[in-house]
Amino acid sequence: MNIHRKLASGLRSLSAVGVIALAAAFSPAPAQAQVKGGELVVVQGSNPPSLDGMSTSSQASRNINMNIYETLYGFSEDIKPIPILAEGVDISEDGLTYVFTLRKGVLFHNGDEMNARDVKASLERYRRVGATKNLLAPVKDIEITGEYEVTFHMVEPTPTFLEAFSSPRAPAIIIPEEDGDTEAGKNSFIGTGPYKFVEYVPDDHVTIERFDDYSQDLRSDGIDGFGGKKTAWLDRVIFRIIPEPGAQVAALEAGEVDILEQIPMPAARRLESDPDIVLHENARWAFTTFIFNTNVPPSDNVKFREAVQVALNMEEIMAISSEGLYTLNHRWQYEGTTYDPGQIGAEYYNQADTERAKALLEEAGYNGEEFVILTDSNIPQHGRSAVVIAEQLKAIGINAVINQVDWPTALNIRMQDEGWNGWTLQMGIEPYLGPVGLIATLTSPARPHFVKPDPELDALYQELIKGETVEARQETFKKIQTRLYEIFAIIKVGDSGLMHASRASVKGFIPFRFPRVYDIWLED
Amino acid sequence: MIRFLAYRLLSAIPVLFVVSLVTFLIMWLVPGDISAEIGGIDATPADLAAIRERLGLDRPLWERALNWYGALFQGDLGQSYTLNRSVLGAVMERLPVTLSLAAIALMLATLMGMLLGILASVRHNTWLDQGAMVTALIGLSIPDFWFGIVMIILFGVWLGWLPTGGFVPLSEDPVGWARSMVLPSLTLAITQMGVIARMTRSAMLDVLGQDYIRTARAKGMRARTVIFRHGLRNAMIPIITVVGVLSGVLLSGAVVIETVFSLPGVGRLIIGAIQRRDFPIIQGGLLITACVFVFVNILVDMAYAWFDPRGRDDS
Repeated sequence: MNIHRKLASGLRSLSAVGVIALAAAFSPAPAQAQVKGGELVVVQGSNPPSLDGMSTSSQASRNINMNIYETLYGFSEDIKPIPILAEGVDISEDGLTYVFTLRKGVLFHNGDEMNARDVKASLERYRRVGATKNLLAPVKDIEITGEYEVTFHMVEPTPTFLEAFSSPRAPAIIIPEEDGDTEAGKNSFIGTGPYKFVEYVPDDHVTIERFDDYSQDLRSDGIDGFGGKKTAWLDRVIFRIIPEPGAQVAALEAGEVDILEQIPMPAARRLESDPDIVLHENARWAFTTFIFNTNVPPSDNVKFREAVQVALNMEEIMAISSEGLYTLNHRWQYEGTTYDPGQIGAEYYNQADTERAKALLEEAGYNGEEFVILTDSNIPQHGRSAVVIAEQLKAIGINAVINQVDWPTALNIRMQDEGWNGWTLQMGIEPYLGPVGLIATLTSPARPHFVKPDPELDALYQELIKGETVEARQETFKKIQTRLYEIFAIIKVGDSGLMHASRASVKGFIPFRFPRVYDIWLED
Repeated sequence: MIRFLAYRLLSAIPVLFVVSLVTFLIMWLVPGDISAEIGGIDATPADLAAIRERLGLDRPLWERALNWYGALFQGDLGQSYTLNRSVLGAVMERLPVTLSLAAIALMLATLMGMLLGILASVRHNTWLDQGAMVTALIGLSIPDFWFGIVMIILFGVWLGWLPTGGFVPLSEDPVGWARSMVLPSLTLAITQMGVIARMTRSAMLDVLGQDYIRTARAKGMRARTVIFRHGLRNAMIPIITVVGVLSGVLLSGAVVIETVFSLPGVGRLIIGAIQRRDFPIIQGGLLITACVFVFVNILVDMAYAWFDPRGRDDS
């Protein structure tokens, strides 16, 4: 138990550092003079699968693409839809027509001005190759109603449409009309963002450089989430691909690179007092979850799943899997956000109650059948949490067996109805998107992560997306939270964070869902 | 010699065919495919099926194999699913990185290994012999990924003499290229030189005990001449054999070193392709790597002939 206390204590001290860094970042700038020019090197561990912003939902791509491309609408810092390339939107009373007016004078990297034809071509392409093309399913057709105006005719009123349309998961980016017919990944990588694409050498680097004719959005004073007034101070930004975490840290210490997308926590603790390095905590990065296969025994039995829920010691799992950067949270939303469901389900969370668990196992008629935990070696948190969960389940008499494979194999196995019972998964972008994005992965028409759909949860999801007001949707989400703690088909283990690191010479960096390389600059 | 070369080249064809066939079968047995990578975690079974159909992954194995071999005979290794370029292009643009790494490491390993081996044999049963063999053993025993990180921390972070990783093309900046190759090739060489050192020592001890060496010494010939002209030259055959085998080991060892030092070589290309299930890259990359391996072995066989004139008659 001592080690967990130490990790927790380490977390608290690091959290303090993070809070200070964050507070400093958001506080009114004490007249720091921005410096134009210079080359910034950002490090990430893997190649972007694609630089076609709409055809991938990968984080490694988003890190780069969101500096090159922009969307009509996107999320603000406090996760509310704000216009970016759009001037605004008029939604008809019946919710069946959305009229988007576009900002004028916005230039693509090829020098052409963006107009309604580009928007229509981009969104029609999104319907074909968008990685989350279902977000345009409520749109019957898109009509050009002016040089700078497009109108969406909806199939039926969908009050949550604008939120879904603003999603950065696989963003509905606007690209030139000429790229409208291209296949996924075959566009010319031309966008409207503050940086333009220069070159991509797989396994080595992606280079982008400042777009001098960038059309700033002057409606705000500074950056705001994915939008706001963006200023590209740097001449050039290189995203270097360094797969080995030890080598990433060495490159940062040697001053060869400027920002690490993620620094391992042991290295972060070591460098905490290094004056040349600044740590940036991104506390709300992902949900650590444990998903059941509700289609096969013994995990098809709700009493068995409840036994697992009450048996788990979440603090132990989170401390080890996240290496100390975590928050205990039973909610299926981040605490204090719009859809925070309060204390519903808290009585089942982090109980570590072996006696109650054993009683529930007996009630379930569990006879020592094998309980196969599927996990992978590519995302270290998955494997670490699987090991701790398995040990805790063995302690209450469950015959837990770990099946650790690589990520593509894990994805393949979990798509099968049989052959696994539990699956460890970090949900990164889904919780950030709010309740709709998260619950969509657990309900029909998609294949729920836990395999067998729950009709009641499906109905609640429909109620959620059709809820006309935020208050109505908040009430629905409370019902969803209640339902999730009735069926125990997926277990919320905790919130895990991500630690970024930068050289002290990097100024203006604010942790976000991707490294915003605009509005940051280098000082000598 | 030409007949010998032609024979070796022709005999390489079945080897390469078996390599490609085994790769095909292994990748067929491995669960998972690229559709999950392209479709993302919340793709529906229908989405995944559509991707498989578009890429031809729903076709039977024999049909995919026939298509691939058919294209290969026309010089086409296919297109990568993810890199937006041809397999041949992707491999060829990375081959210089891997080949230069392996070649420099091979030269360093051979040089350092032979020096250690000669030293150990000439000073047989002394502390120098023991020291050289312990050094060789340490090099052999330490894992290359760990040793690579130690080298990075020592020379890149603490001393700041060399870059911690990354690759600079020779055509862009020769000095930068040399600096970027020092640590990776040295790491690879040190972890592999032990085999050459031990083989050199053993072969030299054999040769140095021969009558003609005693005769040379009795004639009053200089020690250096005895060791290098009469001793080493006659000990070269087993050493060359080891160097030949090592060239393959270095090509495979380069995979780890490329990852640690962030070098965009063929090893990382293939590892990344395996992780994504980018079958055309795996298939084409392994075939080209096998070609390089076969070619190096032919060079080694030719070197036998150069060092041992009897071999020329045999050919």
